[in-house]
Amino acid sequence: MNFRTFAAFVGPSVFMMLLFIAFPLVSVFKQSFYITQPIYETVEVETCTPGFLTQTCTTELKSQPKLDEHGEVITKTEYVGLQSYRNVLEPERAWRAISEGSLSVLSTIDFWKALRFTLTFTLITLPLVIVCGLGIAVLINNAARAIRGPVIFISLLPFIITPVIGVLSINWLFRGDGILTAMLEWWLSRDIALFAQAWTIEILMMLYRVWHVAPFAAIIFYAGLQTVNQDSLESAVIDGATRWQRMKYIVIPHLMPLIIFVAMIHLMDAYRVFEEIVGFSSQGYVISLQWLTYDFLVPDQAGNRSISRASASAMLTMIGIVILLILPLRRTWRDHKGGH
Amino acid sequence: MSSRALQQPFGLRLTSNIFLVFWCLVAAFPIFWIAVMSFKSPVDAFDSNALNVIFGPETLAKGNGLSLLDIILGIAVFWGTIIISTKTLPSMVKSYSKPGQEWIGWVIGVLAVAVGFLVAFFVILPAILGVLNPLFGPLGRDVLGLTTEHYKTVWIDRGFSDNFRNSLIVTTGVVTVSLTVGTLAGYGLARSGSTFAFWILIVALVFRALPHSVLVAGYLPVFINSAEWLSPILGENAPTLYGKPFAVIAVLVAINQPFTIWMLRSFFQNIPAELDEAARVDGCSHFQAFRRVIMPVMWPGVITTGLFSFLLAYNDFLVTSLLLDAQNQTMVPAIVGMFNRETTTTDQVVAVAAAVSITAPLIFLVLIFQRQIVSGLTAGAVKG
Amino acid sequence: MKLKSLFMAGAMSLAATGAWAECAYENEVPLKSLSAGFEAWKAVTDAMAECGNFSASLDQEFREKQPEAFAANPSLYQIGGVANETMIPLLNAGSLRPLDDLVEKYGQDLLPNQLIKVDGKVMAIAMMVNAQHLMYRDDVLADLGIEEPKTYDDVLAAAAKIKEAGVMEYPIGGTFKTGWNLAQEFVNMYMGEGGEFFGEGNMPAINNEQGVKALETMKAMTEYMDPEFLVSDSTYVQQQFQQGKIAMANLWASRAAAMNDEAESQVVGKVTMASAPMGAAAPATTIWWDGVVLAANMSDEEADAAFRLVLEGIDGEMVSANNDTAVWLSPAYTPGDLAAGAAASAENGAKAYPASAPMGVLHSALGNGLADYLTGAKDASTTLADIEASYLTAAKEAGLVNN
Repeated sequence: MNFRTFAAFVGPSVFMMLLFIAFPLVSVFKQSFYITQPIYETVEVETCTPGFLTQTCTTELKSQPKLDEHGEVITKTEYVGLQSYRNVLEPERAWRAISEGSLSVLSTIDFWKALRFTLTFTLITLPLVIVCGLGIAVLINNAARAIRGPVIFISLLPFIITPVIGVLSINWLFRGDGILTAMLEWWLSRDIALFAQAWTIEILMMLYRVWHVAPFAAIIFYAGLQTVNQDSLESAVIDGATRWQRMKYIVIPHLMPLIIFVAMIHLMDAYRVFEEIVGFSSQGYVISLQWLTYDFLVPDQAGNRSISRASASAMLTMIGIVILLILPLRRTWRDHKGGH
Repeated sequence: MSSRALQQPFGLRLTSNIFLVFWCLVAAFPIFWIAVMSFKSPVDAFDSNALNVIFGPETLAKGNGLSLLDIILGIAVFWGTIIISTKTLPSMVKSYSKPGQEWIGWVIGVLAVAVGFLVAFFVILPAILGVLNPLFGPLGRDVLGLTTEHYKTVWIDRGFSDNFRNSLIVTTGVVTVSLTVGTLAGYGLARSGSTFAFWILIVALVFRALPHSVLVAGYLPVFINSAEWLSPILGENAPTLYGKPFAVIAVLVAINQPFTIWMLRSFFQNIPAELDEAARVDGCSHFQAFRRVIMPVMWPGVITTGLFSFLLAYNDFLVTSLLLDAQNQTMVPAIVGMFNRETTTTDQVVAVAAAVSITAPLIFLVLIFQRQIVSGLTAGAVKG
Repeated sequence: MKLKSLFMAGAMSLAATGAWAECAYENEVPLKSLSAGFEAWKAVTDAMAECGNFSASLDQEFREKQPEAFAANPSLYQIGGVANETMIPLLNAGSLRPLDDLVEKYGQDLLPNQLIKVDGKVMAIAMMVNAQHLMYRDDVLADLGIEEPKTYDDVLAAAAKIKEAGVMEYPIGGTFKTGWNLAQEFVNMYMGEGGEFFGEGNMPAINNEQGVKALETMKAMTEYMDPEFLVSDSTYVQQQFQQGKIAMANLWASRAAAMNDEAESQVVGKVTMASAPMGAAAPATTIWWDGVVLAANMSDEEADAAFRLVLEGIDGEMVSANNDTAVWLSPAYTPGDLAAGAAASAENGAKAYPASAPMGVLHSALGNGLADYLTGAKDASTTLADIEASYLTAAKEAGLVNN
């Protein structure tokens, strides 16, 4: 295929990605080195607001942005170098905490707190998803042919359900005297509050994520199991291989490309963990990197937002994900070179 | 279990099936539970005693309930629908539609089953039961508290059908555009061994890993002021992109593109390159070979990928909530709005009913397409 | 049977929406509004929609959309719904139309209390006020011979008694959800203690005795709360009340009606509304208002029509139909028992929420920083110092504090 035909085929897709992803990304990159802010002046303003029955008027000094002759806010944009990155990473505080050997202080600094949780979350759920997915796939494959259809259908439910609703339903089941908490309390006959400390919330979030993603892994592995070479399995039996050995030496190597595919997708998605934080309202205990970015970005009640810090935090998140992806990607590179 | 040598001992099969049942329970329970909650009065729905939630004494006390007969016949209709959509429908579609135009058959078939189910469940069944219940004595007496008033509130008073229509527009748009653009790119990437193609894939992968909230927040001011900056090109008629479904479709397609092209690329890679080479020898251009020879054997892959695009568009919250205004709002932001509003407990149960309503089409869809997903994935045997 | 009646009802209601009901005139200028989505806004925008040619966006993202949409020319929305704090970005960007001429032309029925004035110009029309105040279970407290709590010491003493008597395990409820809610609780307490938030040049000034006192009171309350307090928002506290699980809470006036809602409450008629508990200086609460603004970037004709529509939306008819939904500012409003708490707090000298641009930044910083104290990760003055530091970083980035 020559380059022109290739470009004609790939063109529309690349154009859309450039326009809606690459272009905004470049502006995010630029914004992380600049700060744009309105120029404020201090003026004396009288404000009258309603009370319950009568109005109260107060005169105060207030900061107000200056407006130009068209009524637009005058802003200035300033190059600040790595200042925004420093504001996110807070290296001095972090260093002080490390040199004092106090990890608990380090984990009260937002970025490091978020990084700690994001990494824990990603690295713990990754093997769980792979193992559960593989387990479910093998179980389905073991089941009688007649019930496979319905079982696959039920298994897919957690994956297709709208994430917002999935998180909320888990929330109702466990929050306060939610029915599953009530059941646990009855079983252990003690009072349980799952949303009252960090570690239970973390476990709940991880379980939710595994519940949500394992079906995706399972269905892909199940598809892979259909193409395992039956002859080699049979000859392994004749050679006296145990079930476990057959699994280890024939099935798993056959599924390896799929395992890497699922692992890669899961790494990316888990590193962006966000819905769980909002859905379980866990901000008081644990936060994640994407939540931190989002929090910088969302305007407060008075409309202020920290665009520069959000951009810096987004760039840092991206660097993190690239580092995590390097390993699986080296294999793709080899495949790509070998495949043609 | 093709061979006797691989036959498993009974004990192992039993354990395996027990675990499978356990998994199915875990997988289905939360969804089953919100479905149960949505039919109860607020007091019952949030009761901490599980039995009260299931049997709904408060709801029953208000005169809303189901008799045993209702339940049996209702389950029968459900079961019939499941059988029809998993067994009868695929074979009907296969035998009645022209080869290559099976998707038309699918669309018609799916719509027919959906309409048929709604009519049978909501019109015919109640009419029959109205006559039968008094005749059957104890069997016809209400035993299970159940009320549909929350669904009535959602769909009729809150105008959820508008949101449903908007979701339909957005998802249809996303799936169509995404697959059109994606199959072209996937084919190009699969058949090109150049380093450039590899780097496109890698960059796409990094794009997929980006936190979306960063990108999306950047769109808002640009979309709101689009009439201003588009006017030099389009003159007077420059549209305000904010609030327009097609703008959201474009954004969702772009965000979904990395995954789509990766997936379709691996499907194309499994189609032997000899096939298009043969077509090229017969005098087809690359594009003709793609359209006439490759696409017909690609359907399983396209359906599977399409389903993933559908899920993304249907379930999206971040993009749709920010870039659409109330008139074009889709279902997910509408539901989140219901929860975030200053709510009473009744409102919450109404929102639960909305949540179930939004899940129902998904379940229906998977019911019909699950065979295609599995066979599609098996055929593609997705490669990393 | 029920399913059939559902079908019928659907057909009926579709038929009924054909004609415009109950509007004094027919609106001919197409108008749009953007506001928050709570119950009162729904009532007001529904009343406006009766006049025709109007569509409302009740949007949970309105804070993010409003400044951008109102700055566009022409503005994407003509009518906006704001509260004291959310009006500030619009006001600062010059996106709001002064309403003096329109008030003079049409506003004879408005109360002087409703006119929000900035520098002498009317910038918004307030429609309701809201405040957190004490709600308590009359029956539970009376059984144990406890008087109505007047201060937080009283509240804590009452809670201890209730717990001791074994009536309830967690007698106090609180909107302590991390983020906006938790910060709001601190603001209430701190203002009750008479603290000032800022010094010269928008520098933060909360790390002081009043701040520590406010934090300590909050922590003392959490001893008597369900341990999941950091995830409990107003709706959750309201539910706890309705299910009879708590006896006292400092809850929003707009939630009062839910206590007596027969359909979902098990404590109908048992909850009394009282003034917010007193701090050292004032009741530990703040008064909020919600109101309507018009965009600057639209024609006079549109502004005229929009203002008439707004008045129709907040007229006496709407207020009497939704009397208990909110504490309305209208001559047609009849304050009942449910509004007694808000009234008593105002009488005791509750202050308005000190809305300003720096306050918005501080409120966010408080929301993110306070949880560390309540979970025991930091002590009170470290928490406050860290919050001040994070406020300074954000305020410098916003240009509110000079380096």
